Amino acid sequence: MRLSDGWMIAVVLCLAMYIVLDGYDLGIGIMTLFDRDAARRREMHGLVAWLWDGNESWLVLLALSLWSGFPLVTGTALAALYVVLFPMLWSLIVRGVSLELIGQHDGWHRVWGPIFGIGSLLAAFCQGAAFGGLVAGLPVHGANFAGGPFTFLHHGYAVLTGLTAVMLYVLAGSAWLYLKTAGQTQRRAARTGRLAVILLAAGTAASWLLAPIAGSVTLDPGATARLPVWIAGASLLAAGLAYAFFSFRPESRGPRFDAWPTFAALAVYAGGLMLTGGLLYPTVVPPHVTVHSAASPHSSLLFLTIGVGLIIPVILTYQTFGYWVFRGKTTEEATPV
Amino acid sequence: MSHTTMLDLSRWQWALTAAFHVTFPAITVGTSILLIVCYAMYMRTDDQAWLTMFRFWRQIFGIGFAIGVVSGIVLTFEFGLNWGRFAHDVGPIIGVMIAMEVGWAFFLEAGFLGLLVYGEGRIGRRMMMFATCMVSLGTVLSVTWIMVANSWMQTPAGYKRVHGQFQPINWVDVIFNPSFGIRFAHMLLAALIAAGFFIAGISSWYFLKRRHLPLARRGLSIALGVLAVLVPLQGYVGSEQVTTYVLKYKPAEALAIAGLWKPSTGYSLIEIPRQNGPKNIWQLTIPWYGSEVAGDLSGNTPTPPLSLVPNKLRPKVLPIFYGFRVMFFGWLLMLLAVIVGVFLRLRGRLYDSRWFHRLLLAMTPLGIFAIWGGWVTAEEGRQPWIVNGQLPTAAAVSPLHAWSVLTSFTVLVAIYLTLLGTYVWYVARAVRQGPGDSVLGDSETTAIRSQALAEAAPAS
Repeated sequence: MRLSDGWMIAVVLCLAMYIVLDGYDLGIGIMTLFDRDAARRREMHGLVAWLWDGNESWLVLLALSLWSGFPLVTGTALAALYVVLFPMLWSLIVRGVSLELIGQHDGWHRVWGPIFGIGSLLAAFCQGAAFGGLVAGLPVHGANFAGGPFTFLHHGYAVLTGLTAVMLYVLAGSAWLYLKTAGQTQRRAARTGRLAVILLAAGTAASWLLAPIAGSVTLDPGATARLPVWIAGASLLAAGLAYAFFSFRPESRGPRFDAWPTFAALAVYAGGLMLTGGLLYPTVVPPHVTVHSAASPHSSLLFLTIGVGLIIPVILTYQTFGYWVFRGKTTEEATPV
Repeated sequence: MSHTTMLDLSRWQWALTAAFHVTFPAITVGTSILLIVCYAMYMRTDDQAWLTMFRFWRQIFGIGFAIGVVSGIVLTFEFGLNWGRFAHDVGPIIGVMIAMEVGWAFFLEAGFLGLLVYGEGRIGRRMMMFATCMVSLGTVLSVTWIMVANSWMQTPAGYKRVHGQFQPINWVDVIFNPSFGIRFAHMLLAALIAAGFFIAGISSWYFLKRRHLPLARRGLSIALGVLAVLVPLQGYVGSEQVTTYVLKYKPAEALAIAGLWKPSTGYSLIEIPRQNGPKNIWQLTIPWYGSEVAGDLSGNTPTPPLSLVPNKLRPKVLPIFYGFRVMFFGWLLMLLAVIVGVFLRLRGRLYDSRWFHRLLLAMTPLGIFAIWGGWVTAEEGRQPWIVNGQLPTAAAVSPLHAWSVLTSFTVLVAIYLTLLGTYVWYVARAVRQGPGDSVLGDSETTAIRSQALAEAAPAS
């Protein structure tokens, strides 16, 4: 394995950490739009307020690990996705600030509450659209993007993946609410979660089937050799979806373990990443930019691996500690165990 | 709309987002050091008033840090969004430096900030002190890596060009590039001074309102004590920076700072410059002083004219000329205030000179303005290059449509104005409310406190 492959693993790890961690709090943000009960919305805001900034710091590390390790990717793909990434940035700022302001003043939640929800929804949609725009292919000439501002749409394919990302995050948000709350909030989360599973399954299947039509994806000759990765990824994805559906239990009957939907959502994320990676590798920006053609020179990657790569486990450790400090349910009413 | 419009819009967008961002680190670097002082004094003296002061400034630190984070996310993406070719060409060097900033500085701050803000009651005093020091170290490391990256753009070193891309051949040369040391010192001092005036201004407000006087006294005493050393020192570092780096590596910038079209021993104080000469539209000259600036008191050394630089390579005179003057005269004003502060302290009148408190309150944002002025000078002074002498800015911009950039820029302006308004509102509210409990109210422990105060103000 080359150093560039190793650093790509670091990039994918940052991506995974970001979509898993910010995914659930974006999802909860979207769900606040559909809950009319002010007390429940407050509970949801509180659940996100703890750790959203730590979650978002993975987005910064993702951007920087990609840029420093694969400058050609950052130099071309970001400009190609300008129309969708800027709204994502606006949404993330507005949503973070509105969350801090909701609790500052009586009555402010009426204004900042919906803004928080809409910001979460738009950020999620834009991330999915950016993903779809990227995997369907972006024309690159030399070291520059060679398309127009709306090339990434691919006749609406990016809209489909945007909606699918919204469903994925709603699933993650429901799973997290199911784990961290009790009573009515938890029961509603279970029902929303089940709906999200169905829509996500449909969205994923459609995205998968339409990908070859929408874009310029060409399979690497080595892709068939990675068939086991495909099969494992697809199985994990399908099993995760199925298990999420059955482990969300709106009615509490007998003993249960509230973390199952969260584990199922993690399986969905892992399966999705394995499938995408198995399909694309070694391409990063289809059709032509690969891990190896985009990589920084050896000395840069070595510096990164030692200087930044070694700090990632430390960051993981103290973030885990942060989650450990805030473990347990937020809802005061006792949960049947 | 043309490529030039798109390029200009992209530059304006970067200038706005970077200026907005730098405001918050500028305040948090110095505030974090004040937090260390407060907590160290609390651990040593067990005086609750220090703890109350610690909590008060921690609140202001926290919101500044949060806005610094969200505005920093925008900058990290803008490298690729607006400056795609730059991202590709310098990624192996600048990308790595900024990744170091994120990996070490940013995560150090973010990781320990949680303990600093929410840890009370959960962790012991030593751990709290440690967390405060780590957050502060994070802010300083952050300045370090950002200055490595930006100084490399001013004085690139330790690289080779491969198909246009800058690739590192010697990391020591890259990191310790010719302008890094002096520019790092200059920026770190600037940040500490900006925070010093921010703290002194808020403390003065309490004096004017006659509230929370012990907090105000400590704040004012520590801030002015530190400033009495740093502001004169900054004068020395600033002039060293001009001679060792600006004159040597960016002579065109130096000419634009002087803003003269005819060789003259005078100094242009104010002017309406004409970008391509042959003379300024209007200028107000102080005779002899130009020669003095050049180090010749006899008044016979003329300042070279702008016509030495070809029109195409001449950076914009107007922003450089005034950016530098905002910084320099801002510093001069701060120096005067600090000198007056020392005199008042020696005569024991520091805490009851209301006119001085009013002056300091008015000067609260002056350090920030000076930082903006300095950065405008440095960045505009490097034009038309993005990597000095190597990569033209016009070639580094992403191939975007002007409408895309105009839209993103307009929305960002609206969002940032709201954010800035929110920040000012939040700080004003925190200041109006004052520290949470009444420990800081005047009491018989004043004598003990003033002793602690004397210990905490090393410079006075």
